[in-house]
Amino acid sequence: MSTQDKVKINQLPTGVPGLDEIVGGGFPEFSFNIIAGAPGSGKTTLAHQFVFANATPEHPALYFTVLGESALKMLRYQQQYTFFDPAKLPDSIRFINLSQVVLEKDLGAVLEQITKEVEKANPAVVVVDSFRTMVRKPESDMDLQSFIQRLALFLASWQATTFLIGEYAEEELRDNPIFTVADGLFWLRQTTERNSIVRKLQIIKLRGQASVPGLHTFRITDAGIQAFSRTFGLTPRVRNPIGQRRLSFGVPELDKMLDGGVREGDSVLVAGSSGTGKSVLATQFIAEGIRQGEPGIVAVFEERPQAYAERATSLGLDLETPQKDGKLAILYLRPLDLSVDETMQSILDAVQKIGAKRLVIDSLAGFEMALSPGFRADFRESLYRMIFALTGIGVTILSTVEVDESFIEFPFSTYSISFLCDDIIRLRYVSIDDQLRKIMVVIKMRGGNHAKDIREYEITSGGVVILDKRLTNYQRLISGIPVHSNRSSGEEEPLP
Amino acid sequence: MTTFPEMRDLAERLLTYEANAGNISEPVESTTLRVYEKLRQSLGQLTGAAGFHALGSRALMLARSEVPSLSAVELAADGSLQGMSATEHPINVEEDRVRDGGVILISRLLGLLVIFLGEALMMNLVRDVWPDAASDDGNPQDGRKA
Repeated sequence: MSTQDKVKINQLPTGVPGLDEIVGGGFPEFSFNIIAGAPGSGKTTLAHQFVFANATPEHPALYFTVLGESALKMLRYQQQYTFFDPAKLPDSIRFINLSQVVLEKDLGAVLEQITKEVEKANPAVVVVDSFRTMVRKPESDMDLQSFIQRLALFLASWQATTFLIGEYAEEELRDNPIFTVADGLFWLRQTTERNSIVRKLQIIKLRGQASVPGLHTFRITDAGIQAFSRTFGLTPRVRNPIGQRRLSFGVPELDKMLDGGVREGDSVLVAGSSGTGKSVLATQFIAEGIRQGEPGIVAVFEERPQAYAERATSLGLDLETPQKDGKLAILYLRPLDLSVDETMQSILDAVQKIGAKRLVIDSLAGFEMALSPGFRADFRESLYRMIFALTGIGVTILSTVEVDESFIEFPFSTYSISFLCDDIIRLRYVSIDDQLRKIMVVIKMRGGNHAKDIREYEITSGGVVILDKRLTNYQRLISGIPVHSNRSSGEEEPLP
Repeated sequence: MTTFPEMRDLAERLLTYEANAGNISEPVESTTLRVYEKLRQSLGQLTGAAGFHALGSRALMLARSEVPSLSAVELAADGSLQGMSATEHPINVEEDRVRDGGVILISRLLGLLVIFLGEALMMNLVRDVWPDAASDDGNPQDGRKA
C-alpha cells in the first residue's frame, strides 16, 4: 500500500505545552484513550486542557462526570487555571452528570444515557470522569469488558475522540482488559522524594503514531499541566565535519591553544577549584560571542544576573547593553524544587527566543543544587540529553564545574561527565616560589589538535590573560607542587 | 440578611420573562415554579439530581430566613419544589409578597452559583436557558457569603 492509499489520522492538539511533541504530534482523532493515575496526579486537568483546546460550538465536547468530585467543585477549581475559558460553557463544552444513573441503574443504562447524549450533541470530544468509579460496581468482568468495547465502538463510530479518566494503581496495569481496548493509555505518576513532589507521565501505549518513550517530567502551574519532553523537542545531533568554524574565547593565547578556538557546536567544560577564574573565562567567552554577533545565554545558579553583569563590567565587558538589545539573556534558575527537564526547558526556551549561538552554564554544581533532590539522580542523564540536543542545532556550550584541588590526582569533574564534553580546559593552582599561581591546560579536544602546553595565567582587570613565558623549568606542574628542574626557560629536557 | 442586589435583579428579570411568556391569568407561584424548574433541569444535568437537591435546599434555607412563608415549601428527592402553591396563597397576603418569595428563592439559588462557579459561568448557564432574558450588566461579588 502506498503512502497515498493509507488513511490519514488527524492529530488534535493536546492543549498541554510540551505534550504534543511527546505524543508524536497530538492526540489521534477518533481515538479511545484512558488517562490513569492516582488521585491528585493531574488527570482531570489534562482532560480539561484537551477539551478547552479543541471544543468549539461546531465541534463541541461532552464531559460526563460520574461519582467522586462533584461537577460544581470541579468547575470551581478548574476555572482557576488560565486555560479555562468560561465562554466555552455550555455551547462548546457541556458537562453532564451521570451519578444518578450510575447509582441507581446498571452499566447498560449508563451506556444508554451516554449514547443518548452523544446522539443529541454530536460531540467531537467525549470525556468520562471518573470512569473508574463507574466500574467499581459489582459487575462481572465480562459485563465491564462488554461495556467498554461497546462504548469504544460507539464513540469511534460517532467520530468522537474519547478520554476515560480512572484512578489506577501501578499493579493494575497488567492483564487489564480495559487497557487492551484503549488506543492510548497515559499514566500520570506523583511521588514524594524527600521534601519534593516529582510528577512524571508515561505513554504506555498510543496506536498509530510514534510517541517519545520513557518517563517525562511535568508540572502543574496556574496555566495547568506543562510537560517536558525527554528530547526537549529538538532533533538528534548531527556532528559537523572537522574543520568547522572556530569560535574565539576572547583570550587570544587560549584560542591558539585550541588550534584557533572552540569548534562551533562543541560542548566545553572548564574545570577548576574556587577562584581559578572559571566564571571569568565563561564571561569572556560569552562577551566575545556578543562582539562577534553571536547571541548568548548565561544560566547562573550561584549569583543573580545583576551581580553577574556587574562583575563583567569590572572586567571591562559590557553585558548590560546586549541584554537590553535582546542579544543576551542571563537566566537565574534557583528554585529548589525544579526538575532537570523544566530547568533545561527554561534554558532551551531562552536559546530559541534570542537565537543564541553560545550558552554558558555557570556552574554545574549550582545547577545540581537548584534541583529537587529527587531529580538529582537524573542529573547526568538529563544534562546529556540537553547537551546532545543543543549542540546538535549548533549551539556551543561552555559549562563550568568546580573540582576539589588535590595534590595526588587531577580530576576533571566530580560528575563523571567528561564524556559529555568535546573539550576540557582545566584550571588549577600551583605553588611556585612561595606564590599561589595559576596554570591552565587543554586536557581534551575531540577531533582536533590542541596545545599540550601547561600555561600560566593571571586574572587581571581585563579578565584571564595567559602569560607569554612558559613554565618550562618546572616539572610535575599539574600536581600543584612542581619541582624546579634547574633548567633555564626554553632549555630542552634531556632524553631519559 | 439581604440577597445580592444584582441576583435579585436577575431573578426578577427571569420571573418577568416567564410571566410574560406564560398565561397572564396564571398565579404568580406558577411563574416561580417554572423558573425554578428550568434551572433544575439545566443545572441537574451538570450537578446530578443529588447535587441539585443540595443546592436547592441551601437556597431554600437562606430564602426562608427572609421570607418565613417559604417554610411550608419542601424539596422532593429530585430537587423539585413542593408546597409552593399552598404557601403562596395565604389569606390576606397580596400578590407582591408572593412574588417576593419567588424572587428571593431564585436569587438565592443564583447567588450560590456565583459563589461556587463565579459570575461568568453562572451567567452562561442562565443564558443557556433564557437566551433572551439574561443580560450581563449585573456585577455580583463573587464568593461573598450571604
